[in-house]
Formats: sequence, C-alpha cells, structure tokens
Amino acid sequence: MPLYELGIIIDPEVSPENETGALERLEAIITEAGGEVVDRDAWGRRQLAYPIQKKNYGVYHFWKFDVGGDALDKLNFEMRTNDAVMRSMILNLDRELRRKRKMDKKLDAKAAKKAAKKQAAAEAAAEED
Amino acid sequence: MAMNKPKRRFRRRVKVCRFTVEKINYIDYKDIDLLREYTPTNGKILPRRVTGTRPAFQHKLTRAIKRARFMALMPYVGQ
Repeated sequence: MPLYELGIIIDPEVSPENETGALERLEAIITEAGGEVVDRDAWGRRQLAYPIQKKNYGVYHFWKFDVGGDALDKLNFEMRTNDAVMRSMILNLDRELRRKRKMDKKLDAKAAKKAAKKQAAAEAAAEED
Repeated sequence: MAMNKPKRRFRRRVKVCRFTVEKINYIDYKDIDLLREYTPTNGKILPRRVTGTRPAFQHKLTRAIKRARFMALMPYVGQ
C-alpha cells in the first residue's frame, strides 16, 4: 500500500466538535479500508494567502497515511461533500519520493566513487614515497 | 575619446543552484520559507535564468509552489 499525504483546510468558523467529527470520519474511512494514519501534523489556525469562500483564515491539518488506492475516491468524496472542509489535497508520497531516493542513491554512489578515487590516489602517493 | 576612459568592468554574481549544493532532493510544498525565496512579493515564480536553479529542480520547485498556491499557503497574485 502506498503512502499518501493529505493536506486539508477546515472552516475556522465551524464548531470544534464538527471539526474533529470530520477528521474522525476521514480516519474511519482510512482504517475501514485497512489503512493507518502514520503521521499527524496540525498547523492550527492560519491566515490564508487569499480568501477562500470569503474566509481569511483556515485550520490546517496534514496527515500521512497508508491505504489501498480504492479508499481515495471515498476520501475525496467525503471531503468534497463535507461543508466543514474548505480545501483538500492528497499526494502519493511514494511517487513523490521515488525520484528523491533515486537521486540520493546517485549522489551516494558519486560520493563513494570520489572517496575511493581519493584513497587510491593517496595510496599511490604513499607507494611512491 | 571614450576609448581612453578606464574600462568599467562588471562582475556578474556567480549563481548557484541551491538544491544541488545543499542536496535537497525533495521540495515539499509545506516548506513555505524555502519557496518564498523563489517568489518575489508579486507572487510570480522566479525564472531559473535569474536564480540559477538547475532545470530538474526548477521543475520540482514550480510544482511545489503551485501546490502551495492551491492550499492557500502562497498567493497566486501578490500585493
């Protein structure tokens, strides 16, 4: 199951129960599909860069979770139909990080090669002496 | 004549790609402080000819900035 990242902006004028209720419902969808919320990051109330639905503030939540792909449609539907949710975005983090891993590997290989070359040069110099 | 004047030399600042130097291989759209360095106050994305960013990172940077815009973390249009 791939790792996903969810960003969500919740209406700040909504009552706290409604807010937690909306988040709990999302979590229920994830756990029902056999997934798990790995990481929770709540930024809290924050000024928006531009007004959304004529509101200047939003409550930000960022989650990382593991689910099969089928649950995404449900999640998106839930977020779209829930009035408390102003904006949401789900990213496939595995896909995002695949290229990072590739580049990390490349950099590591390069560094290793450089170190080996340096060592070889040092050894050659030592032999000459 | 103008030729006798001492030649004015402009030294161009050497531009470096920050992502290559610091080995940042993933640009997160939530990292607003980083993204803000690549957008002037009018909210536009600075071209790589100005910042010296490598093409591969410029692609990632624009993506991250556009995502941040969608999530209202950065403005589409600045002041």
